Amino acid sequence: MSGLVLNNVSKTFGQKKVVDKISFTLDQPGVYGLLGTNGAGKTTTIRMLLGIITKDSGEITWQGNPVSRETVNFGYLPEERGVYPKVKIREQLSYFAELKGMDAESTNRAINRWAKKLKVTEYLDMPAEKLSKGNQQKIQFITAILHDPDLVVLDEPFSGLDPVNTDIIRDVIIELVRNGKYIIMSAHQMSVIEEFCKDILILNRGKTVLQGNLKDIKSTYPATRVQVETDRDITKFINSAKLKIENEKNFQYTIKISNEQQAHDLLSDLVAAKVIVNKFEIMKPTLNDIFIEKVGAKNIETSANSTKHQTNSRKEA
Amino acid sequence: MKDIITVAKFTMKDMLKRKSFRISTLIILVLIVIGFNIPNILNSVTGGEGFNDTILLVDQDQVFDNQLNSLNSIENLSVKVELGNDNFDSIRDKINNGEISSAIIIEPTDSAPTFRYVVKNVATASNIPEDLSTALSLLYTNVQAQKLGLTPTEAQSLIPDFTVAPEQIEEQEISGNIFVMMLMSIVLFYAIYFCAYQVSSSITVEKTSKIIETLVTSTSPRNIILGKTIGIGLVGLFQMLLIVGTAIISANLFLDHALIASMLDLSNITPFLGLVTLIYFILGYFMYAFDYALTGATISKPEDIQAANTPVALLTLVGFYLAYFTLTDPTSGLNSFAAIFPISSPFCMPIRMMMGLATPLEIIISILVLLVTIFIISRIAIKIYSDAILNYGTRLTLGEILKTYRKK
Repeated sequence: MSGLVLNNVSKTFGQKKVVDKISFTLDQPGVYGLLGTNGAGKTTTIRMLLGIITKDSGEITWQGNPVSRETVNFGYLPEERGVYPKVKIREQLSYFAELKGMDAESTNRAINRWAKKLKVTEYLDMPAEKLSKGNQQKIQFITAILHDPDLVVLDEPFSGLDPVNTDIIRDVIIELVRNGKYIIMSAHQMSVIEEFCKDILILNRGKTVLQGNLKDIKSTYPATRVQVETDRDITKFINSAKLKIENEKNFQYTIKISNEQQAHDLLSDLVAAKVIVNKFEIMKPTLNDIFIEKVGAKNIETSANSTKHQTNSRKEA
Repeated sequence: MKDIITVAKFTMKDMLKRKSFRISTLIILVLIVIGFNIPNILNSVTGGEGFNDTILLVDQDQVFDNQLNSLNSIENLSVKVELGNDNFDSIRDKINNGEISSAIIIEPTDSAPTFRYVVKNVATASNIPEDLSTALSLLYTNVQAQKLGLTPTEAQSLIPDFTVAPEQIEEQEISGNIFVMMLMSIVLFYAIYFCAYQVSSSITVEKTSKIIETLVTSTSPRNIILGKTIGIGLVGLFQMLLIVGTAIISANLFLDHALIASMLDLSNITPFLGLVTLIYFILGYFMYAFDYALTGATISKPEDIQAANTPVALLTLVGFYLAYFTLTDPTSGLNSFAAIFPISSPFCMPIRMMMGLATPLEIIISILVLLVTIFIISRIAIKIYSDAILNYGTRLTLGEILKTYRKK
């Protein structure tokens, strides 16, 4: 089978099963979303996928062959950002390019090209410690893609970036997809996943709680909100329909509904009262809603406590 | 192999560019140059008092029967001797003007004459040189013998020259200068210890800066450890050669050659011994470097580095002292053991060779034992490094490390 295949992959640290029989396939270029709270097993899955740690059971293949550092040309942006603080940017980029088998000439060409695209050319001859965190992150992003990998793994690529740099990275990811790259992206921001990913997998405590095509998943969920924009205050209509206002601003309302009929009834009431309705939209749940439903608000709240577990998981072994 | 060279090259460049490395190396070199200049500095500070300077002998009462002139015909006397009849004021002026460093005023008594040794300042001046003191004693005895009418043979019999020819009961003969040997053992210890320690420090930097996760996806942990160890080892070797080279040049430029010859007997240092010492430096370095790679991988905060490295530092010290103290009795069985035992052999065997005690078979066994130990430690270190390197939490304890290794 072509592309990347994970089949029943598991990993246990000590007594704790951190990843429990995860399976997914990335059979064509694009972005695959890996979601989960802190400690859900995303980073462990990625580390197994890249061969940084060994899996206990299951199968991971790329283009039909077992995945290893030597056989797969992959790029990796880890969640734990890091650079050599005292080493000049060009030198550290060249170092990683050389380890990935690039010659000096193509390394220089690639460095100049990506530095220009990510707007860091002026920093190439500076030691990394003099760069802002955002720029250091862009340098790490270049490290991940400099050698033109087939499979790119991006662990929280947008965390800590300002809107301008987020846009820059977003454009690069779009370019990578256009160039036929297979990308696995882990992120906390659901909007990012919704924007890029066709397929997703939600992990909770090492187990898959939801996976599949994002559009298909959303279509199976009933509408949960209606957005209404009117020329006057319609609070009394909403209250009489026993609905709850989630957000209100300048006669623009976001109202929670439990079925689509409630929205239609509200619209009938407004029309009958000759309220001018400028906008009326019944909305499907967002990925965020689905995520909270699947993972549970309680888990999200407690996930902060398990962050330590994720980074310290090696110790448990 | 290509990745190992790439990692080694990067590590070398990184180390050589570090300000801390450059400054510490420069300070060591400056200290060496200053150290070898201490006799010259002291001479200039004390106005030239001490060795190799002029001492005025005043014998107004002819205690030595005008024979003090003969002192100037003695070869290799460490001081120049000038004769005079100056009074104390004149002597003081001459010392203050720097014409002489000191003066000996010889005064007769009923028994042996007394010597008044006049110097600028007693606290900073050295004693009467021993060779001058001996020469004066001999001369006085001769003068007295002549006065008694003794023949030269009779006079000579009063000053016996005992010939001491040592004979040992042990079969093995020890040659060489113990000072040079101890010095060599200490230099080897420091070179190996400090180079190996750098490996741990370098790995900690990669862990604390979180670059390690990118690195382990770019090449294998084995390549990282080997490349890093080779890179740091080469820089350490370069630093050591720089230090030894500066010491040799400084000694030749600033020290009296006769003094060097009397202190350092380098006759036993052959090119073969140099080669074997280099081999032991490399092997000793690798053995301890892998230990430090292991401890470096277990920590994620720079402040933990000292505590994590303590067991390896203790192991190094045990190895060094085992070699150092048994060298005081080099024919003992314990010293033979120290020359084979891998934690002490790098500090012991080159010295045994210099003493002429090591047989070729002993050297071969010692190197083989060291190679096997390095192979085993490197395998354990690489395995534990691979597993511990992504631990960003609290420092792994020895028990946890062993548990992980046994599980594997």
